[in-house]
Amino acid sequence: MGSTITGNEVLAVSDRDRIVQAMAECCAEVGYQRTTVAAVLERAGVDEERFASHFTGKEDCALAALNKIVSETLARISMADSRSEPAIDRRKFEGKAILDLLATRSAFARLGLVESRQGGTARMHHSYESAARVLALMAERFDGGDGPPGRPSVSARAALGGVEAVVRRELMANRGERLSQLLPDFVYAVLVPFVGQGEALRQARLAARVAAEEGL
Amino acid sequence: MNAQQREMLLRAMLEELVGNGYGDASVERAREVAGISASEFAAEFSDKDECLFAAYDCLTDRVVATANADCDQGDPWPERIKVGLESLLQAVAAYPQMATALTRSFPGIRPAAYQRYVELLSRFEPLMREGREYSGVEEELPGEVELLAVGAAEAIIFAEVDAGRAQRLPGMLPEILFSVLVPFMGPDRAADEMRSAAVST
Repeated sequence: MGSTITGNEVLAVSDRDRIVQAMAECCAEVGYQRTTVAAVLERAGVDEERFASHFTGKEDCALAALNKIVSETLARISMADSRSEPAIDRRKFEGKAILDLLATRSAFARLGLVESRQGGTARMHHSYESAARVLALMAERFDGGDGPPGRPSVSARAALGGVEAVVRRELMANRGERLSQLLPDFVYAVLVPFVGQGEALRQARLAARVAAEEGL
Repeated sequence: MNAQQREMLLRAMLEELVGNGYGDASVERAREVAGISASEFAAEFSDKDECLFAAYDCLTDRVVATANADCDQGDPWPERIKVGLESLLQAVAAYPQMATALTRSFPGIRPAAYQRYVELLSRFEPLMREGREYSGVEEELPGEVELLAVGAAEAIIFAEVDAGRAQRLPGMLPEILFSVLVPFMGPDRAADEMRSAAVST
């Protein structure tokens, strides 16, 4: 019966989640470079054999943690995108969903936005770059093609870079819970190259209402 | 150790960090480059970390001082931002190894080192504040607009340094300038400044 999940399999899934969580927390505390598998095992409360049954080593485990935050982010975006509002309003709900996730998964967020960008291995960095490219492509959807001639192609990536700088500052200061309050600022930054200041500010005001909503 | 030796030591430590990674960065090799004995080193630094942090602080102080000096020339704010950015990009292109130390190798050591990087970006925020006076709308701009502008430039600079293309950065001045100015001035006027910078570079 291939569809039957045994007790051991449930425990294995639980072990894997605990290990990945422990990896994210260790990296947030001491950085990827100083994180050891031994410290991860101790925090997760599992032995080497269990670790080896899930991961080939430290980098593999860190990549699994990165995949977890990326897949959860995409799932939140997908949920927000299924709402019935116009596209530009759905983007605000997507933004709010991402910021709420980063706040509740702050250790994973630091692994994704700090360690994989500037502290981890080449494969972790590649994972960060791929996720950043996807977000930039999403931001480019705001480009209605009626902006000033010759607007640089890096506009969306640069605007997201500004958002990331603020998010990283908040994460490093352990102020993840503040992130959703900053949604209006982020909406302004991402929109202004494409729609101009007046409309970006109007959308930022609307975003303030979205930011105030609970349990989206 | 005299001031020149100290500067050589700090630079050599950052080169060790970039070239060999944190674990294999050697104080001994850096001392040899600077001509400093173990006892002279010990009189100033308790360990490798203290020396690396001092090296990073020295480098970032210099970068911020250069940007401040070039942004303080009496011209209108967008022009001063262009001049400061131009100097920064030329310095990054001329010293790609130091740029890598600045953006990647040192911040990646551990969270305390990364915090220095966060602080470095914040040190550019005062240069941005005057941009609020150039806004095309009466409504107050968002509270984080200064760091949003700094982070926009950082994202482009980081990507080029990281890809080993630091030498391209001076040629990218117009588009980086647009990304810094656009939150303050809007896309039309930022594009005007971008085109003006493209003509003058």
